[in-house]
Amino acid sequence: MTPTVPQLWAVSVAVVVVALVVVYLVWTAGRVERLQTRAESAARALDAHLLRRAAAAAVLAEQRHGVELYAAARIALDAVPEEREAAENDLTRQLRAARLDPADPSCGAVIAASRRLALSRQVHTDLVRDARSARSRPLVRVCRMGRRHPWPRYFDIDDPTLALPADVPAG
Amino acid sequence: MRIGIVCPYSFDVPGGVQNHVMDLAEALLGLGHEVSVLAPADEESTLPPYVVSAGRAVPLPYNGSVARIAFGPVSTARVRRWLTRGEFDVLHVHEPLTPSLSMLAVLSARGPVVATFHTAMTRSRVLAAAQGVLQILLERITARIAVSALARKVQVEHMDGGAVEIPNGVAVAKFAGVEPLPGWPGECATGSGGTLGFLGRFTEARKGFPILRDAFVALAAHRPGLRLLVAGPGDPDDLFGRFPAELRDRVTFLGLVSEVDKARMLRSVDLYVAPNTGGESFGMILTEALAAGATVVASDLDAFRRVLDGGRAGRLFPTGDPAGLRTVLAELLDDPAQRAALSACGDQVVAHYDWPVVARRVVEVYAAAIEATDGRVIDQEWAGLGGPR
Repeated sequence: MTPTVPQLWAVSVAVVVVALVVVYLVWTAGRVERLQTRAESAARALDAHLLRRAAAAAVLAEQRHGVELYAAARIALDAVPEEREAAENDLTRQLRAARLDPADPSCGAVIAASRRLALSRQVHTDLVRDARSARSRPLVRVCRMGRRHPWPRYFDIDDPTLALPADVPAG
Repeated sequence: MRIGIVCPYSFDVPGGVQNHVMDLAEALLGLGHEVSVLAPADEESTLPPYVVSAGRAVPLPYNGSVARIAFGPVSTARVRRWLTRGEFDVLHVHEPLTPSLSMLAVLSARGPVVATFHTAMTRSRVLAAAQGVLQILLERITARIAVSALARKVQVEHMDGGAVEIPNGVAVAKFAGVEPLPGWPGECATGSGGTLGFLGRFTEARKGFPILRDAFVALAAHRPGLRLLVAGPGDPDDLFGRFPAELRDRVTFLGLVSEVDKARMLRSVDLYVAPNTGGESFGMILTEALAAGATVVASDLDAFRRVLDGGRAGRLFPTGDPAGLRTVLAELLDDPAQRAALSACGDQVVAHYDWPVVARRVVEVYAAAIEATDGRVIDQEWAGLGGPR
């Protein structure tokens, strides 16, 4: 029994539709994976910048500005993940109170580290938002794409910029 | 660092974005980076050595105006070839939401992408019709820069994301080094002489030229030798027709000026007046006037107050008030010591807007974008001092 022309048509249309759906799924999965990976890289960079700032603050505290700043830096360095945001905010407050002189190398290092941290935080927040919005799409949830990655988390700290950037006033 | 910059608008036509891209590229080259700029340009036009032409731009009606842009399969192929050959560490696109080379570059890019938003443009009609496209475009951008507080606000409210605010730079050396126009600014003594300057579209209401005109007319009647130097596009009859006949020979009109003549014009005045009544998001002209060493008098707008450091680097007068402006002008023209003090403070302020300084901040954003892509932190020196790898 040979298939009739309408049957052939139906089969071809079905094949094309299935192919398109598969292409879309693969593309979406790739997109979710890419956004996830990027958010995780941004989190690693943010982590590194937090450590850098705390280290720079500890160096400064040893030279002067004393015990409280040193304690805040140590606590930020050692904090467990659940307490880290609070500890970092505390360090930011201590640094703001310290009245840093941009001309001094140790102070300059802290100011520069804080500026880089602020950029890193901004980028991380944006990239986590992109990853979360991609993962909350219904299709992505139904197909459980990205399940090998943990749900991307924001790192919610205050803007760590110290005063205005030594270079440029807000304009 | 190997940096690829995409300018959406043709270098054949002058414009704010084009100037920004060129100044930024030159500042980055000056810091020791490798820079290639991709922009539409006519075949026969002469381009700086760091610019790669992406072919002719075609005028297309877009968002209520005509944009000269390059878009389509041929442009896409050129963008891809440029990206492949360039092997850039970071791609920096300008105005990526206009259908342009910038948008094509974002869609073809693999690595870290930094985008600068110049205008406070909200979603265009084209993109509003394609929400999905906008999303795909935005999520390919790693870090965003806004050149003004207003442009940043649009980012936060309409594009659902943050942006780092880095102001427009000003090439201080280009403004500080030029000769004034011959015969200007002339003498400025107590009770006589002095030159006021204005640059811009004097017919446009928000530029506030009538406020300066009223103040000048009132002041010139009692102050012999006071002159007004005006530059900008417009019809001279519109300008002179509104001055009393006896004062017309004390007004000089230069018409539309080139970048070089703009600098010379700003060097030729004792006081530069910015009587704008609103709509300024940054106040580029103020940083240029400060760079040229002019004393600045500006209306008390948010943007201007910020550039002038709350009034330390230039005098502010109540927005839209000719009498207030006149008082400030009269006081400053008679007080060379105060003018000198304001100029000195202006020099300090404008140093923060000098392109090399601004470019270093842009490089820090590049570093943040690269780090967010591969998770490793870049050496401080690389970002700070900008030496090549």
